[in-house]
This record gives sequence, C-alpha cells and structure tokens, in this order.
Amino acid sequence: MQAVIVLLPIVLGLGLVFAWLFILAARDGQFDDLDDPPKRMLHDD
Amino acid sequence: MFCCPGCELAAAIIRGAGLERYYDEREAFPPRPEATVGGWTQVPVETLADGHAQVRLAIDGLRCASCVWVTEKVLERTPGVDSAMVSYATGRATLRWDPARTDLPALARRIAALGYRPRPLSEDSAPDRGLMLRMGVAVMAMIAIMGLYEGLYAGWWYGDIDPRFAALFRWLSLVIATPVTLWCAEPFFAGAWSGLRHRVLHMDLPIALGVAILYLHGLVTTILGQDGYLDSLAMLVALLLAGRVLESRGRRRAAEAASALVGAVPRTVRRVVTAPDGETERIESVPVSELRLDDRIDAGAGEELAADGVVVQGSAQVRMALVTGEARPIVVAPGDRVVAGALLLDGALTVAVEAVGQDTVVHRMAAELQAAQDRQLSPSSTDRIAPWFTAATLAAAILTCLGWWLAQGAGAAISRTVAVLVVACPCALALAQPLSAAAGLGAAARRGLLLRSGDALLRLGRVEVAGLDKTGTLTGGAVVVTDAGDAALRIAAGLERYSGHPIARAITTEAARRGIPLPAATEVRETPGAGITGVIDGVRWELRSGGPGVVELTTGRRPTLVADILLGDAIRPDTREVMTEIAELGLDITLLTGDHEDVGRKIAGQAGIGTVAAQVSPADKAEWIRARQARGREVLFVGDGLNDGPALAAADVGIAMAEGAASSVLVADGIISTGSLRPVVAGIHAARAAERAIRRSQMQSIAYNLISVAAAAAGLVNPLVAAVLMPLSSISVIWNAMRVEPAVRRAEVCRR
Repeated sequence: MQAVIVLLPIVLGLGLVFAWLFILAARDGQFDDLDDPPKRMLHDD
Repeated sequence: MFCCPGCELAAAIIRGAGLERYYDEREAFPPRPEATVGGWTQVPVETLADGHAQVRLAIDGLRCASCVWVTEKVLERTPGVDSAMVSYATGRATLRWDPARTDLPALARRIAALGYRPRPLSEDSAPDRGLMLRMGVAVMAMIAIMGLYEGLYAGWWYGDIDPRFAALFRWLSLVIATPVTLWCAEPFFAGAWSGLRHRVLHMDLPIALGVAILYLHGLVTTILGQDGYLDSLAMLVALLLAGRVLESRGRRRAAEAASALVGAVPRTVRRVVTAPDGETERIESVPVSELRLDDRIDAGAGEELAADGVVVQGSAQVRMALVTGEARPIVVAPGDRVVAGALLLDGALTVAVEAVGQDTVVHRMAAELQAAQDRQLSPSSTDRIAPWFTAATLAAAILTCLGWWLAQGAGAAISRTVAVLVVACPCALALAQPLSAAAGLGAAARRGLLLRSGDALLRLGRVEVAGLDKTGTLTGGAVVVTDAGDAALRIAAGLERYSGHPIARAITTEAARRGIPLPAATEVRETPGAGITGVIDGVRWELRSGGPGVVELTTGRRPTLVADILLGDAIRPDTREVMTEIAELGLDITLLTGDHEDVGRKIAGQAGIGTVAAQVSPADKAEWIRARQARGREVLFVGDGLNDGPALAAADVGIAMAEGAASSVLVADGIISTGSLRPVVAGIHAARAAERAIRRSQMQSIAYNLISVAAAAAGLVNPLVAAVLMPLSSISVIWNAMRVEPAVRRAEVCRR
C-alpha cells in the first residue's frame, strides 16, 4: 500500500509533465510539418 | 453551429428580437480565440464586369461534405449574395455578391457564425494543430488507462485485488478518460451533431454513439465498483484521431505542393515612367497590383511577363507554353501581342499593358478551370456504408434488449445491450479508408506522383482510358538535335557554348554526347530572335533560324549555307517502356496532340502508342474525354500547359507534369514531380493496392462486428474480452494498409 501511495503521485506527476511538454511542442508548431525538415538540411541555400 | 444549446437559444432570442443588425453593424470585435474575423476590410476583392464583387478564401474546419452543403446554402440565402461555392477537397470558397447589399466582413462573420473559420487565401494555411494535440493527449491517456486496467484484469486470475486499490485504479481511470471523451473525441461529436442536423448520416454518428456509451457505462460501473470499458474507450479515440491526422496531413501536403508551384508568379515589375518634360524616362519597381492599363513595363531575359500587352520596343524570343502549350519559342517584335506568364528566353521588351491581374488571358482561363474543379465531390464508400451500419447496430441493440428483458429481466438486458453497442463501434471500419488511402498516397508520392486526395487515388485505380498530351508530356518539352553533321555541330556548339537558349543547350548537349571537343570562339555576338555570330578557326560563322525545326549554319559576308541542323521533340528516355506497362494494366492509350498528324504519328511510333488524335484543340481534348465518359468509361489525362487545363479538369483523373504551366497544376488531381511518366504506373499500382486494402478491411471489420455483436448479445463479452477483441480488428486494418507499399513494390518487381 505504502509503495503505491508514494509511487502514484510520482508517476502521475511525470505523466503530467510529459503531457505538458507535448502540448507546448504542438502549440509551438513542432508537429506542423513532419515531412520537409528532415530533407531541408540536404538543400543548398 | 453553436457550442451548446444555450448559445443557440440565445442566438434565436436575439434574432427574434430583430437585434442581429447590431452584429452586422458593430465594427469592433472582442478577440475570439478560434474564429479570426477581423482584418477582412483589407482583403483585396475582385470587381467583376457587372459591378459585383468576387473573392476566393479558405475555410478551415470543414469536416465533411455536409459542412460544405450547409455553408453554401446559408451563404446563398444571405441577401446580396449571388453565388457561393465551397470545395471540400481544397477547403476553399468562391463568393460572389452585390457590394451595394452586403460586404466581405459580413460574409466572413456569417461563415464564422456557422462554426467554421474563414481566412484570406494569401495567409499561409495553418495546419490543424488541434487534431494533433487531441491525438497526443488521447495516446497518453490510453497508455495510462491501459496500465491501470491491466492491474484490475490481473486480479481476475490472481485472486481479487485489494478493493481499496481497485477503487483507486477505477476512479483514476475515470478521471483520465473524462478529458479524452469530452475534449479529444469532440470532433466526432461535432461531426455527428452536424450530420444529424442536416439529416446526413455519416461515420461520425456511430462513433460518437459508441464513445458516449462507453463513457457513460464506465461512469456507472466505477460508481458501482465494477470494471468498465474505459481502456477500450481511450484506445478507440486515439486510433480514430490518428486516422484523422493521417488523412489531413496527406491532403495538406498535396495542396501545398500545388500552391508552391503556382506561387512562382512575378510580384514586382519594372514600370517605365516618363518624366513631366515628356522626354526622359526612368524605371521604377512597383508591385504587380499597382500596374494600370497603358502603363509600359520592361522585361529582360529570364523574366516572366506580368501582364498582357503589345510589344512597343525591342525584340525577344518568348516561350508562351503557359497559354499555348507550345514549347517552341516564338520571336516577337514591336506590334506583336504577348500574354502574362510568357517567359523571355533572350532579348528585352518594353510592353504596353492591355490587361492586368484578373483580366489577363491566363487568369481568366485558370479561374474558369478552378470553378469546374471545385464542383467535383463524391462521398467516400465508408460514408455510404454508414447509414446501414448505424441502422443495423441499433436494430441489434434493440433486439438484444427486448430479448433479454423478456427472458431474464432488466439487469441482464442492460448489461448485454451495452456490450452490443460497445463492440459494434465501427472503429476499424472508420479507419479503413483513411489509413489505406494514406498508405496508397504515400506509396505514390515516394515514386514521384503527388495526388491531391484519397478520392483521386481511388479513381486512378479505376481508369480504363488514358489520353496523353504530346509536347511536354510524352516528350521532355526540351528541344533536341535530330540530325546534324559532326563538323557543323562542332562549329555550332562553339558558337552556342555560352548561350543559355534551349536550342543552344540542345546543340552543346548533342556535341558532348558525340564527344566533339568545343572549339574556341571569339567575337561572339548574339542578336535576340535573329541568331548568333562568331569567329572560329579564323572564319566568321553565323547560326540562324531557317524555319521551324531548322537551324542554318552560314558563313561569309553574303551568307552562304554550309549545313542545316535539324531540331525536334524527343520522347522521354523511358517512355516506350512505361507505355507498355500502362497498356498491360488494361488501359487504352491515345496520343492527343495539337500538332500535325505526321508529327503525332512519329512520336506515337517511338513511344509504342497505336492510337493518335492529331490537330485537336484544347476544347477538343476535353470533348474527346467526355465522349469516352459518356460511354461509361473512366478517363485518365496526363498533360501540361494551360491549354490542357480543360482536359485535366474534365478527366476523372487529371495529372499534370510539375514542369508544366502553373495554372494546369491547380486544376489537376495530381502532379508528377519527376521528369518521367513512370509515376503514373506506380500511381495505378498504388491505387489498386489501396482499393484492395480498403475492400479487405471493410469486409474484415464487418465480419468482425457481426461475430462480436453476436457474442455480446449472447452475453459472452466483458471488459477484458472487449479490450482484447477491439484492437484486433483495428490491427487488421492497419496491417492491410501496411501491405499497400509492399504490394506496389511487388507489382513493380514482377514487371521486370
């Protein structure tokens, strides 16, 4: 019982941190274009 | 559309009190998080000949064909609006209205009031980040709930879990499932609701029904201290959203590829301004939009003309492929007419402007074609199944409920009816089309064919007749040397080595191919449209045009002809092979060309095509296609150049070459991005593989649903069985979609 009571908030906290990071990344436009950026580094400007 | 019944009621009251004029007349707007309504007064509006206004704009948030229908109808009923046309495929609308009776800001508000987000077309299309966010959150929630429920299921084998833990896990799962249902699954609820309002049953309705029942059942069982189906719920929402994300990404990519090609129009022009003294002239750089009739503009080699007009000064070779589809450059001199989009290969021109912007030949043709394109819309096969599916599910649920109620009473009836509704949720069926179509689109794109939509892909799989344009499609569009002596070629290549002209390139390329070393030339002088002279080996030579397809090499003060160099179109290197493969796929191929019969026959012979229709005008090409469609055959047309536009639009699938005219790319269903016709073959393979995958997935998911509904009605389904069974059908759909790419690869390998 004690293990769960200690671990649960930690796990939930971690999950929320990851969810928050994901939302930040998505809002920032990180997932807007998943096709071009990997190819763009090969372009000569 | 309203966010809730309360808002709808409030709006009805405002309307009832005649207060909506306030909303039409107020000018300041409080900032709204979603609908951007401001800034519409600055959007440039086109004024038509009859004084009415027209504009094209993008509308975000169109979820289905019925969204398109309702937007059109509402706009058309708005006083002052002549016509409204909305395209689901491109998310664009064309509005025409009487400026005396309404204005653009009012119309934009009207669209925003329906729940869609209008924006000016010039703005870059913002990707739907909401969908991605919803999917990400649903996936994380799915992992969390699955972990918690795993603990609960483990208790079924190892003896009951401590009730305090069970309660904790169940309540935690419910807490996590709540945002998944209310926020992540919101697009399905919104889609189902708008479908119901417009009496159009589509796939969103059974999905929304299933999600709602799963959640309510989870709520009740959690309170009662039993296991619910919350893990299945999260998984379902996450998978369905993943399908949506894939679908919208594919659509966006094709739209962007097309608009990137179209964007290559000159934005500023050099205007010649005469000073007040009437003599001195100077050049100023102005945006194309400020150009007026009778202005004079300068254009140099390598530039595209920005307006239609008459040459007043200078001479040049121009390529008007954009309008005529003819790759061969023509020489223009003062008095000749030129059109916007014409490319100057050499020389320089001063042009008196006769038409700008919307009035140019190119623009008028493109606008007509685009209007034709926007009309095409067909419901997907999944949406056709949806009403039957919903009806069958509801019937099964009612029968189960009645049967068990009579046999064993309310308790058994409710739990089994819920189980039926849960397992009947058409997750796999809804995923079949987007996943397989996305896989097919991806397989085609990797091979150089970018298609606009999954619809276009599936149509490509069904075509039986192919019409191919000659110049720029079968042939590379570039000029090649077809006949020349080595000695003449050496001199010609020496003269042309520094020129960027297509003929020069053809000559130097041919010299390089034959391994002829380039001689040194001095005193080289190029006269635009006339020819090129220079001294090689101490002798003065001149190279000049000797009629279509012939270049003459002359020497001496009084030019004496030394040799002719013959030029012509050449078919793309792999064309013959590709034509054989297309024929083997069961398509009848016809070469359609505006050129003379002999030229057409010759090229067709080289390419291995039996049928030729020569001397056909652009309108004839479209007519040729319609004649075949009238006989019930689906037609593919591959072409380039704006004069192919009507044919591209008329065909069931129109594919444009990327190096072709920008406007033809706009009306085409697909673009070939490599300089070969091979992507057409790959595209047909991909389309047929995707079609097979969709059929197989639909059959499998319907079979799966029949079995699981029967099991649920018999009382054999509990949350664990559902958690194992439900992903199975989705996995089989994903598996089918994943086999599209290998199937295309196999089809290609078999051929060689």
